[in-house]
Amino acid sequence: MLLELHKVSKHFSGLVAVDNFDMSIGAGELVGLIGPNGAGKSTIFNLITGVLPVTKGKIIFDGEDITDKRPHEVAELGVGRTFQLNPLFSDFTVLENVVASFHLRPKSSVLSALLNTTTYRKHEASIKEQAMEILKLLGLDKVKDELGKHLPHGHRLVLGIARALAVKPKLLLLDEPTRGMSLEEIDLALGAIERVCQQGVTIVLVEHNMEVIDFCDRVVVMSFGRKIAEGSIDQVRKNEEVIKAYLGDINAA
Amino acid sequence: MLILSAMYILVALGFALLFSIAGILHVSHGAIYTVSGYICWQLSQAAGINQWLALVLTVLIVGSFGLFLERFCFRPFTGDFDRSLVVGIGIILILQTTIVVTVGQESRSMSPFVAGILNAGPVSVSLERLVTFAIGAALLGVLVWFINNTKPGLQMRAMSQDLQGAIMQGININRVSAIAVVIACASAAVAGCLMGAYINLNPFMGDVVLGKALILVILGGMGSMTGIFYAGLLLGALDATLPVFFSGSVAEVIAMGAIIVVLLFRPTGFLGRAIA
Amino acid sequence: MKWKLPYLSTRGNMAKPGFWAGLLIILLVLPLFIKSPYLIHIINMTFIYIILTVSFRTIMTSGQLPLAHAGFMGIGAYVSAIAAKWFGLTPWLSIPLGALVAMGVGILIGYPFARLRAVYYAMISLFFGMLILSAVKAFAKWTGGAAGLTAIPPLLGFSKVPYYYFFLGLTAVSLLVLYRLEISRPGVTWKAIAQSHLVAASVGINEARYRIIASAIGCLFAGIAGATYAHYNTVVGTTSFSFMATIMLLIYVVVGGVGSFIGPIVGVFLLMTVPELLRELREYVPYISAAIVLIVVFLMPKGVTGLVKSFLSWLAELWKSRRTSDAP
Repeated sequence: MLLELHKVSKHFSGLVAVDNFDMSIGAGELVGLIGPNGAGKSTIFNLITGVLPVTKGKIIFDGEDITDKRPHEVAELGVGRTFQLNPLFSDFTVLENVVASFHLRPKSSVLSALLNTTTYRKHEASIKEQAMEILKLLGLDKVKDELGKHLPHGHRLVLGIARALAVKPKLLLLDEPTRGMSLEEIDLALGAIERVCQQGVTIVLVEHNMEVIDFCDRVVVMSFGRKIAEGSIDQVRKNEEVIKAYLGDINAA
Repeated sequence: MLILSAMYILVALGFALLFSIAGILHVSHGAIYTVSGYICWQLSQAAGINQWLALVLTVLIVGSFGLFLERFCFRPFTGDFDRSLVVGIGIILILQTTIVVTVGQESRSMSPFVAGILNAGPVSVSLERLVTFAIGAALLGVLVWFINNTKPGLQMRAMSQDLQGAIMQGININRVSAIAVVIACASAAVAGCLMGAYINLNPFMGDVVLGKALILVILGGMGSMTGIFYAGLLLGALDATLPVFFSGSVAEVIAMGAIIVVLLFRPTGFLGRAIA
Repeated sequence: MKWKLPYLSTRGNMAKPGFWAGLLIILLVLPLFIKSPYLIHIINMTFIYIILTVSFRTIMTSGQLPLAHAGFMGIGAYVSAIAAKWFGLTPWLSIPLGALVAMGVGILIGYPFARLRAVYYAMISLFFGMLILSAVKAFAKWTGGAAGLTAIPPLLGFSKVPYYYFFLGLTAVSLLVLYRLEISRPGVTWKAIAQSHLVAASVGINEARYRIIASAIGCLFAGIAGATYAHYNTVVGTTSFSFMATIMLLIYVVVGGVGSFIGPIVGVFLLMTVPELLRELREYVPYISAAIVLIVVFLMPKGVTGLVKSFLSWLAELWKSRRTSDAP
């Protein structure tokens, strides 16, 4: 198992956002995390990456307990992520966005940067190469010099994925990567996700778009902070709890 | 020194009003305070007008100047902290230099508003102190009442909590801002005139006052009027008790250290709300 | 009320070696043509303030507004002055000491302060600056308190010209170091933190660590500026290190343009050097500064350098379109 969540709970002074949540993700899987709005899916991502502290429970990644780790430490261990509202480095160009994200591997010390050592220059050259590769992989190489803030919505989201890839992650957490995208943009994004998957990266997707979910090996369904179903798409579709969660309880009217 | 506390709170309140309602980081508020003192001085000492009348006139003049400032110098930069700060400094420079050029750098004094001593049994208090404090406290009381009990006051509080919401409620934000500006400048003006008479006038006295006002606003919490009161009282208490145990400047260091520690644990101040 | 971050970008286009080499040569021979020691003095002060403002901006690139910067200059100045005056240390040693102490303090307070969001950091720095000054007044026995410290041992004697070359060299080295950091990875990391601390953390950037590094470097140079100032002027007073002094640094940076590495230099020149040169109008000088400040603020959102850059790119566009219309 690459990622395990054991009875994870998150309380916000009175409000229970996540309740006793269990989940296991194996290496190489493409898993969808779905549920109605407000179910707590983004919160799960924030808990895994350490943006929010866990109230109860344990999170284990690649054999290590990351429950109390801070976001940059989690990133260092090999977890990359995108954000729902998709913040970017808006004053950097597309290329600079990705180059800046190559902070971890290879690592250069401030001193070596100051002295412009050969090692530093080698690192930077290699980073530039790898950044261009990622941009080509995701179809962003033509806009590499556009400023982040000038990018259209779809490109921004793909840029978010590019940035997450710079971490060379073992696990990629994508938070609604196709939100608000046009049909062409969705195709672009799907192609990108597929290619990333082929490279062996484990992916957990939060999505509302069923087209994207269809690609997943497996789906976990959340509602009101709890896991209510798990399994293949077909299994989950027929699950009564799931239908109730999405449509509300018709009989209760 | 309750008087100092009261005056600092007056200026701090004005500053807070300007920040949370008109959205201005009004660093030139201290200069407004200074200039008021000088205008009053000019009117009463040089032109021979009755000092109380001079006070009223000063308030009127400074109030209108405040309106002018808000409309033309600060409104274009709401939300842009760097540049409104720069504009404020520009205004301070202009005001201070005008004073230095016209009147000179040395301290000036104004005759007290009320002279004489009040003997009440074992205690004798200078009437000036009493009256200054009384006016300051009264003004504060009026301000508080105004903010809490009148319609414009209510509108101001609405604006400081949720600007967009206030607009949607149909509150005329420009008009309310203008009222806030006038109130803020008027109170600074009164404080300036009173303190000018009580202590003396020098072109840079506003800087110190601004510093203290900033402490009160930040410690009390941006956007919270009552917080400023508590902060003001606390500072007044510290000011009075610490020097008993430590020498003046060591007391200052301890006070500043305490403020920093408080802010580290509660960055929003006593009662403030988080800033974006 | 949203805290609006200044526009930040330096893409390494300052490094036109020809221009800077030429400038250096001019600066090297300049003193031969200037007879007035007062003018030399103004230039020396300009050098010191260039180091101060550029290091101020360096800290700004990491998203922090160091409102205690002049205070750190004070730490450098007083530590060095005290070590030299009361303990007999030679200025050549006390100056590095002062600078290192300033950096040390910067790192120490960096730890608690680096976890604060931008606005709160600014406010706490402001108070810390005031604390430094209060401490100076409290230890008046050593520091001379509010009245100031006099008879500080000079570094290079009492004539102004040797200091000119000293400061020229010091400024050149400082600018080189700060520029190098800005355009290399640390600079990129700082600007990443400033733009989005969430995204920065998600790619593994340890925000606190890099903010402390920025503070440390900024404070180091502030300390250098302060210590060298003390042994040049032989007299220091608390007004040079006050909150207002830091605000003036901010003004220099904003007027010159936050987005450019040489912005602060332009700001210092316009708002400090030029007014000082007009000494006949001594009293009216703040009017001129105020006028410059207001003009820039109202008409040039990105400061003087921003305007110049826009103008240059507009010219470039014009030139390009003329070129194409010439083609048959």
